[in-house]
Amino acid sequence: MVISYAPVGESPAGVFLSFYPMSLLSFFIRLVLFAAGFIPLGYALGVGHLLPSTDQMSSALEKTSLEFHQNLDDFAVTLENYQRAVDELATSSEEIRRLHLETRAQFKEVEFLLEYAEPASVKRYLNGAPLPKTEPSVPEVIVLEPSGLQTLDELVFSDEIDRKEVAQLLKKLREDYRKLHQQMRGLKLQHRHIFEASREEVVRIFTLGVTGFDTPGSGAALPESFVALKSLQQAYLRYAPSVGEKAPTVNRDILEAFQLGRSQLRGGNFDAFDRLRFLREVINPLTKNLPRAQAALEIESAGDFNRMPRPTNLSAPYLFSPDWLSAEYFANLTESTQKESRRQLGELLFFDPILSGNLKQSCANCHHPGKAFTDGLPRSLSSEGTKTVLRNSPTLINSVYAEKYFYDLRETFLERQMAHVVADKHEFATDFLTIEQRLKESPEYVSRFAEAYADQPRYQLSKWSISDALSHYVMSLRGMNSDFDKYARGEREIIAEQVRRGFNLFMGKAACGTCHFAPSFNGLVPPFYAESESEVLGVPATKIWENATVDGDPGRIASGRPRDEAYFHAFAFKTPTVRNASQTAPYMHNGVYDTLEEVMDFYNRGGGAGIGINLAHQTLPPDALELTTEEISDVISFLESLDDFEHLNHQPETLPTFPNHPEWNQRKPGGTH
Amino acid sequence: MRSLLLLSITMLLGSALQAQLVFPGEIDAPADYTPTRVEMPGSPLSLQVLFVGGVDMVQTTATYGNEAGQAHAKEWHDFIGFTPDNTDESLGWISVNHETIYRDDRIGDGGGMTVFRVERDEITGLLNVVDQTLEDGREGKFFNVDFANTVGETGMNCGGISSIVDGRIWTAEEWFRSGNASINNTSAGTSNYPVRVGSSTNQGVRDTAEWTIDAPDFPAFDGLTIPKYENFNWMVEIDPRQAKAIRKQYNWGRQGFEGGVVSADNKYIYLGVDATPGFWLRFVADTPGDFTSGVTQVYKHDADEKWITIDNQDATKMLNLTDEAVAVGATMYNRNEWVAIDPATGIIYWTETGRDNPGGRWADEASEGAVYAPHHVARAMEQGVADPGTAEYWDYYGRVLAYDPETEEVYVAIEGGPYFEESPMQADYPEKHLSNPDGLNVMTIDGKQFLVICEDLNGETFGRMPFENTAAGAGAGLGIRHRMCELFLLDLSIDSATVDDLIRLSITPLGAEITGAMPTPDGKSLLVNSQHPSTTNPFPYNHSLTFAIHGFDDLTVSSLLPPDVEDNDTFGIYPNPTLQQVYFNDIQDVALYNNQGQRLRVYRNVNQIDVAHLPAGVYYLRSAKGEIVELVKQ
Repeated sequence: MVISYAPVGESPAGVFLSFYPMSLLSFFIRLVLFAAGFIPLGYALGVGHLLPSTDQMSSALEKTSLEFHQNLDDFAVTLENYQRAVDELATSSEEIRRLHLETRAQFKEVEFLLEYAEPASVKRYLNGAPLPKTEPSVPEVIVLEPSGLQTLDELVFSDEIDRKEVAQLLKKLREDYRKLHQQMRGLKLQHRHIFEASREEVVRIFTLGVTGFDTPGSGAALPESFVALKSLQQAYLRYAPSVGEKAPTVNRDILEAFQLGRSQLRGGNFDAFDRLRFLREVINPLTKNLPRAQAALEIESAGDFNRMPRPTNLSAPYLFSPDWLSAEYFANLTESTQKESRRQLGELLFFDPILSGNLKQSCANCHHPGKAFTDGLPRSLSSEGTKTVLRNSPTLINSVYAEKYFYDLRETFLERQMAHVVADKHEFATDFLTIEQRLKESPEYVSRFAEAYADQPRYQLSKWSISDALSHYVMSLRGMNSDFDKYARGEREIIAEQVRRGFNLFMGKAACGTCHFAPSFNGLVPPFYAESESEVLGVPATKIWENATVDGDPGRIASGRPRDEAYFHAFAFKTPTVRNASQTAPYMHNGVYDTLEEVMDFYNRGGGAGIGINLAHQTLPPDALELTTEEISDVISFLESLDDFEHLNHQPETLPTFPNHPEWNQRKPGGTH
Repeated sequence: MRSLLLLSITMLLGSALQAQLVFPGEIDAPADYTPTRVEMPGSPLSLQVLFVGGVDMVQTTATYGNEAGQAHAKEWHDFIGFTPDNTDESLGWISVNHETIYRDDRIGDGGGMTVFRVERDEITGLLNVVDQTLEDGREGKFFNVDFANTVGETGMNCGGISSIVDGRIWTAEEWFRSGNASINNTSAGTSNYPVRVGSSTNQGVRDTAEWTIDAPDFPAFDGLTIPKYENFNWMVEIDPRQAKAIRKQYNWGRQGFEGGVVSADNKYIYLGVDATPGFWLRFVADTPGDFTSGVTQVYKHDADEKWITIDNQDATKMLNLTDEAVAVGATMYNRNEWVAIDPATGIIYWTETGRDNPGGRWADEASEGAVYAPHHVARAMEQGVADPGTAEYWDYYGRVLAYDPETEEVYVAIEGGPYFEESPMQADYPEKHLSNPDGLNVMTIDGKQFLVICEDLNGETFGRMPFENTAAGAGAGLGIRHRMCELFLLDLSIDSATVDDLIRLSITPLGAEITGAMPTPDGKSLLVNSQHPSTTNPFPYNHSLTFAIHGFDDLTVSSLLPPDVEDNDTFGIYPNPTLQQVYFNDIQDVALYNNQGQRLRVYRNVNQIDVAHLPAGVYYLRSAKGEIVELVKQ
């Protein structure tokens, strides 16, 4: 333990002023006594155990807190000015737009701490997506119309500003912010909040900021990201001397990254901005080193001791680290020491047609490991072999990374996903009772279940253990280690130019990354990665490019979840991952497109709106993207660079036998096609 | 000189407290340290799993052309009813609601209920689920309540009634259905959407043909043909002994019912309706115990005759009860949930769970003559808005209301919250917080009457809880307390209770929403459901399940309360060793270290922490002042 000492520097000036009338000798005697008095006091307070930079750190925290509260006040004033100007008829459209940008910039100053402190309020009232939502936790479907800065962004930057609507939205925004602002006055920040909010914001800047996600109208993505990054830098600089003492390299890397980030963002052009370079030179060093700086200062962190699983692993240094997302969190399976035997058992079940009513189909019929766990068909064949099931078979690789499962987001638990397949008359067309009874007739299955579920004697071979084993296998189907991932996190130094261009388009001009979010490139929304989104694209029933008709599949609105029964969920489908897309043709929920070129063509026209399908609630911006043929081919090159499935392409060679059913023993691993 | 030192100490203390203390990542455990241990009796409470949804098998009747057999039980457990056994053969029958609308070939589509019979093992104190043979020949432990072949499918079975008189059970069909599409799950609003019965997109009630009511008990309804969806949203009586539905109470009206009670004289049924506006309804039986004939009434607080009768011989009026209630100017509440009765006093309690901004939901009804409950009018005034119908009016937390049958007055038993204009951090945040009470019951513990209150949170915007405890805060590992739906006890003898009077029962599994709190008649156990478990709890706590908390007969009121700790300067922790909670002598920053001296977690501004999740062993706690004490986790 460190011996304590008296922190004389802490003595406030006022104490010394009171010495003024004393003699110099008396002053010194008293000073010595005074200082001596601090020794036991300092010991009692444990000040001696603190780091030398405690003063610096305290002052860093205090300044950032003050600045945060000042910025919150300023935002209120900016909002008021904005609203007043809009109410004034004489205010020009240009002036409204200028004020709007000013307001948003002011918001970006406080974004990192406000999002950290009140994410639910920011999303619902301040800067949520400009789309309607349903009221949570009520026994009816109540549609809440969108409001907030993003909604204003679209309105204010449309050709003709609807002033009445802008004024109404501003009135609501000001009232909502007033309540939030009032609440925030009591907020006392801690060191950890600054560091953790900063790291969260770094991810937000890359995934939602520079991609243009929250600037749908103004396109001011780069200037706003500049402000957001600058606010992080300011907060960090106050800690920099302390970090520098403890971890000079970490400190240097962070300072450099901020500097580089500012220079890259300053005056940047949205279409030309090199996001891949920004990722490697700015984002990566920050996601890696901010937690290290925090640890160097011995500040506690969320990663210290986890009671609840989290969507992201705090120990993963980079956004493109294979374990950035925590598969365990999403799979939500029971903790066990038997994970591997459960996974192996699940793999066996996955390829075993014993699960299906007709003993011919296994999971692998529609999810073939050689095709990145898809089947190459527009819609999968139904069990009786002539009809098709409702939708296209999605890849199972990385499918675990989702809040909800199925195209219509009908299932919350991976473990229960299987139940839908079992009951579906076009799929396994059986029930768990039959499956349980069958499996119990195989000594090998019985003993493998007994081993893997030894801790659950009552439910060793049950609906639960069967589903759990399969879920362990599906959870293990992960491929986040492609050539692109390796380059993105700096493990490789070479990448094809067209891949670089493709990624930059994907995350920029082509606006793919604003729905297929990095790094899973599905609808899992950063930076919390706790919610899966669906989108209304207007996918046609057949492949025609003019006067097309929307595919009749109602999508999410018919998910069976009462809360999804809102008009804007009609024709809405889960945003799938684009990882391994080169292997998973045909595309879309109905397999309408055979090639990625066709898919890109569809998006390039503005989705359904560009081919004659006019859904008022289409969530994909209806404007043409104006991508050139070369740009489209670049995006496809990037998609191909995400391939990572070969290591999963294997299946068991034999299946467990059933002594009393020799006819069952003819079944083939993977089922009969 | 002394005053000078004192002055400087005060100033230094001030600045030291201002500064954010950083706890070292590692400490040396003091070599010659002898821990102070305050031995306190551990909690007598223990858990026993009774029934796991989706995994345990239920015995089914012949349904939809399938023979009688068995199926995996439905899930989403909610209400629990208890029917005491008057013979000595067993303790009684447990009825569990399944709050779903889900297709099932053997159980029947929609929601449902499962019943089973339990006996008390006198040696272990545990409950055994006993084997039964029912009149219809079904044999087994768990039984599906047959709705499909008796009164028609049921759905969204949320709360219910468990009669304190004789254990009769009714289930409430909550989520209000407004069209066949909404029971068939193809409610896109147009007929263009494909209906593929049996395909995976259609999980709803398959039979949407018109329904002809067969209910000789209710002449006004008997033989009436209604759209299928109108056969939902009634209170439905079931026979828990024979596992079949008896009747839908067409004479009580059609509402999004959530819960109810039977009065001690077996004459009145009081009903909660989960809607905004939600009305306070009752049925008055002509003959006690016969609930097929009598009058249906709605409460109007500002009338001379506070209970206004609505003609329940008029089927149209019963089908459109909300319109009738508005027409007579009834009192409007903001989402009434469960109802409970204190047999000792006859006072009826119900949870008004609240809704963030109810304005738009009941302003129309107000303009048509319905009246706001007076506590909402008072709240609106406090908030400086015109009335509860204005868009700005908020009701984040809800409350528990009470109705005194003697005076016919309704009053607030305990207000949710507390609300802060400025959200405090945990430092200044009250230890307890009541948000959106939902499940409710009355239980006798240690000779005293307690309300058992279950939360079901509506949201977390606007700093209604400290940010450490929002979903994001919890995700960041900061805290979980108020995000969890908690189970509270409230001593009913306390006048003007506040949230400070609540007693948290912290035995429930992490992250599970607790509902259905139902005491067993012997007072030894509380039966609860875990509804939407969402964490990696060990199986089966990651499933919808019914479990029992045993040991209430050994519980004293004082053992429910935190120790009376003196606020002194020495860092003290109580009890030690512990199973669950550790209390400190003062609110402070504390760091937890393992026996290697490595910091596990820092807690800021706490006077107690929950260590139930830690493996048993020796730990160290270090206070902000640097004092280190040993903690033994059992």
